[in-house]
Amino acid sequence: MPLPQADRDSRRWWADLIAVWRDTRQIVLTAQIAAIYAAILIPFKAGIPIVPGFVELRPANAIPIVASLLFGPAAAWGAGIGNIIGDCFGTLGPASVLGFFGNFFFGYLPYVLWGHMGWLSSGQPPLGKSWRQMMEYGVVCVIASAACAGVIAWGVEWLGLLPFVILAPAIFFNNVVMGMLLGPPLLGFLYPRVQRWRLRYEDIRESDSSNVHPSRPLQSHESMVSEVTNDYLSRAIVDCHGLSFQYAAGSQPVLRNVSFSLASGELVVLLGRSGSGKSTICYACNGLIPHMIPGTFSGMLRVEGKSTVDDPVWRQAGRVGLVFQDFDTQLVATTVEGELLHPLEYRDPPLSSDEVRRRVVHALSQIGLADCAHRDPMTMSGGQRQRLVMASVLVQEPALLVLDEPGSDLDPAGRAQLREVLRNLQKEGIAVLMTEHDDGYLAQADRVLVLDQGEIAWEGKPEALLRHPQLMRDCGLRPLALTECFEEWGVEPLPISVEEAWTQAEALNLRLYPPSAVLDDTLRLGNIPERSPTMALPLIHVEGVSFQYEDQVVLDEVSFTIQPGDFLALLGQNGSGKSTLARLLNGLLTPTHGRIVVDGMDTRTTSMNELAKRVGLVFQNPDHQIFADTVWEEVAFSAKNMGCSKDEIAVRVQESLAAVGLPFEGSRDLDPFSLRKGERQRIAVASVLATRPAVLIVDEPTTGLDPDETDRMMAMIRQLNQQGHTIVMITHSMRLVAAYARRCLLMHSGRMIAEGTPREIFADAALIRAASLEIPAISRFSQRWGHTLLTVEEVKASLMPGPP
Amino acid sequence: MHQLDGRTKVLTVLGVFGLALCFSDPFYLLGVFGCVMSGLAMSRAGANVRKMWMLTVLLFAYSVALWPFFVQGVTPFPLLHSFGVTWEGVRVGMGMGLRLLIMLWGGIWLLSTTTIEELAQAFQQLGLPSRAGFVFSLAFRWVGMLLGAGVGVVQAQRSRGLDVSTGGILQRIRKYVPLVVPLIGHALRQTNLLAMSLESKGFHPSATRHFYSTGKLMTPDYAVMSVMLILVVVSVWLRWQGVGTLDMRF
Repeated sequence: MPLPQADRDSRRWWADLIAVWRDTRQIVLTAQIAAIYAAILIPFKAGIPIVPGFVELRPANAIPIVASLLFGPAAAWGAGIGNIIGDCFGTLGPASVLGFFGNFFFGYLPYVLWGHMGWLSSGQPPLGKSWRQMMEYGVVCVIASAACAGVIAWGVEWLGLLPFVILAPAIFFNNVVMGMLLGPPLLGFLYPRVQRWRLRYEDIRESDSSNVHPSRPLQSHESMVSEVTNDYLSRAIVDCHGLSFQYAAGSQPVLRNVSFSLASGELVVLLGRSGSGKSTICYACNGLIPHMIPGTFSGMLRVEGKSTVDDPVWRQAGRVGLVFQDFDTQLVATTVEGELLHPLEYRDPPLSSDEVRRRVVHALSQIGLADCAHRDPMTMSGGQRQRLVMASVLVQEPALLVLDEPGSDLDPAGRAQLREVLRNLQKEGIAVLMTEHDDGYLAQADRVLVLDQGEIAWEGKPEALLRHPQLMRDCGLRPLALTECFEEWGVEPLPISVEEAWTQAEALNLRLYPPSAVLDDTLRLGNIPERSPTMALPLIHVEGVSFQYEDQVVLDEVSFTIQPGDFLALLGQNGSGKSTLARLLNGLLTPTHGRIVVDGMDTRTTSMNELAKRVGLVFQNPDHQIFADTVWEEVAFSAKNMGCSKDEIAVRVQESLAAVGLPFEGSRDLDPFSLRKGERQRIAVASVLATRPAVLIVDEPTTGLDPDETDRMMAMIRQLNQQGHTIVMITHSMRLVAAYARRCLLMHSGRMIAEGTPREIFADAALIRAASLEIPAISRFSQRWGHTLLTVEEVKASLMPGPP
Repeated sequence: MHQLDGRTKVLTVLGVFGLALCFSDPFYLLGVFGCVMSGLAMSRAGANVRKMWMLTVLLFAYSVALWPFFVQGVTPFPLLHSFGVTWEGVRVGMGMGLRLLIMLWGGIWLLSTTTIEELAQAFQQLGLPSRAGFVFSLAFRWVGMLLGAGVGVVQAQRSRGLDVSTGGILQRIRKYVPLVVPLIGHALRQTNLLAMSLESKGFHPSATRHFYSTGKLMTPDYAVMSVMLILVVVSVWLRWQGVGTLDMRF
């Protein structure tokens, strides 16, 4: 809701500009606007002009106007600072000061002028929906551009660097052209999204007075609770009673009457499907809810005896450390040591230098990065960066560490390192509350809380949960494969480790007798169609391919072929060269040595467009490609680029949406960003399918998805394969490879160390270990009888009573 | 050079800018340019110099080519005199080009020898508000991340057939929308998360930032600043005397 005019006016001019520096969100926005501006500016500073020889014509110059109309005064500071950062990549000098002021006005005037130009003003939001809005936008754009050009060109001439008459028109022309051409489409896309994210200046101002509701009296805890261990309560670090919360934009509570406690040194895992309220509990633990995330809050949550509602978030950093799922976003420094020092630099009163040194050294040793103090975080692996973020909160020495899905972006090696860190923290008496989609960390947990639709559906020892597969399924969790194998044998208790499964099998005198349907993969993959003579020819031929970035060899002498209709898994840990190989297959990169032939065409000499018609690549993060206002436009984008007719585009959009299981009806009005990540991933797949590629490469398609979403995504990919698409799936999930792939390539340090069926690859334990991966428990179980089985269904079909 | 205090480096670069502004005669500016190049050589900043030399040479060439058309002189320049170009104008162009190069290479020297944290700290110690220094370093950090994300965005859109190198100029500009929009969306979606993360770690906008790794000014710092101060004072005096300046009439 817009602010009353009187209130807006009272906060105008200098007050608004200064208020930016008193609000964390506006400070972050300022930095982001500066970074966006600089990031789009820099390639053109380095000489990639749209018009050769005219480096001033660059798309970045639409950013200050757009940002100003969305974010108000933060855009002024952001544009000024962004220009200086851009200058740091080549043109830093005294003129940078003038650039700061010029861009400051460029980013400030649109906000000041919009709606305040008398009869010229449309009285509407800054969108190009009517001629009056367009006219207002044009006037604003011209005035801001002129102010920017005038300030910079006057100053540069005063410094004796370039004549005013040369520079002023160049800057003015560039600003107006870019502002007029790129501004309206950018605003059209960003305005509704920024409104949804509550980042418009009005929204930020409005949320200054946050929506904190006082705690209501304690309500009874009605959830199903088993094995509540009351001794924890006596030494509780966290004490939560009757916590309920509804987001300001939500239609129903996301937490309902949640009660739990955590003791010192205890590791508790929160499980549940996406949207069950896990992250909301994390955010409540240090007061982000309700201080920074508005909504209706009731109940009580205390950490170390203090209510999380009473103190501002920053004051709770010494009690609670919170690590978010997206760890890269939380890094703010260019060295590991700087990352740890930063949180301590805002302590009041400051710590002594000796104490700071001790804390930094201790935090780094806690997370196993003691030797990395002077490294740049961006040169470290994903697992190391995540542990660094943990260290940056542990340096405040909190009693409680909260981790929101810490393992979702990690490969098996990263997950193993994280488990080691958790063991260390437990030994030191730090309470840990972490959320997860799967069972990866349950072995170390003291307790599990299972959330379902905002309520605690189950609480108890992890072992008890793992031995109840039906309960796990009911709560949207994936049961252990081994447990499922023994479910129908009426075993009590059900096994949860390979050793227990062997013992149970012996006790029941069970042996594995795999039928032919298992050994020939019919049970796992269905009937494989007979290959016609044309299908016997390779669709993709990779011959001795190497690739290197500057001096770093990323791929080394890789050779293999892909047959039509294949389902190939590229398997390996992060950094093994899988994603580079995928980019080579669709021509985004060309080999340094060797060659790749796709459908008879050499990727070195074939255009990207031609290759895109044959090899579609779906990137891991769908948000790196979604840009359109509607699902329909997004899916149609690639078909338009291929030059298809309108009718053809409509047919392809319908066909692609149907293939990924999304409705065609309503797609012309549906905003892709209003959908969940799993659905956005489907849109990304549909968009690539619209080119009708013979080969579809999917890069980590299930990252961040819960078990139900993962199953839906994989079912869709399998269906595409059955419809005739050749699938190449990049993953480090052994379970997905075991369940879906016909063939896999095992990559390690840029080399292909094995190629074969999953059964062949998984049979070689030494090979899997060499690639820093782990054989699924179900396969290890079966190997005792000389077979490598891959799925629950295969084991169930093979498990039979042995001879007496 | 890398061991000098951040304040010394910032003040030295400001001194270099001052020297460049004192003179307009390319002969004198060549001397200043030589000093800057020596500083760069001693700083082992070869990698950054290699990245930027083409751009700076281009800017120098622009300057030499443009200024003669705006400066009056008396000595005709062969072939181009009919366009009003004189030797005096060319000399001014070379001087201004060198001034530009000195400033650019000075900036490159500063950035090659100073980390962003050092720079933010130096700015704060020199009187800039700490929050501005923080925003500067945070934005710098984000530029790297966005450029990385930008590569992903470009690859994703190229994979879907986007080709920004074809079409007319308006078409080309419009083709940047699918590249710019996901990049901005990606950054803005992180806004709330980063703000929450900062406050969760103890950041508070009203708090005074206390740098624990504050270095002390050492003898080399005082030596460098003294030399620079002497050079600036001498240059201002020379300028006052009319030495090293050209007569620039438009």
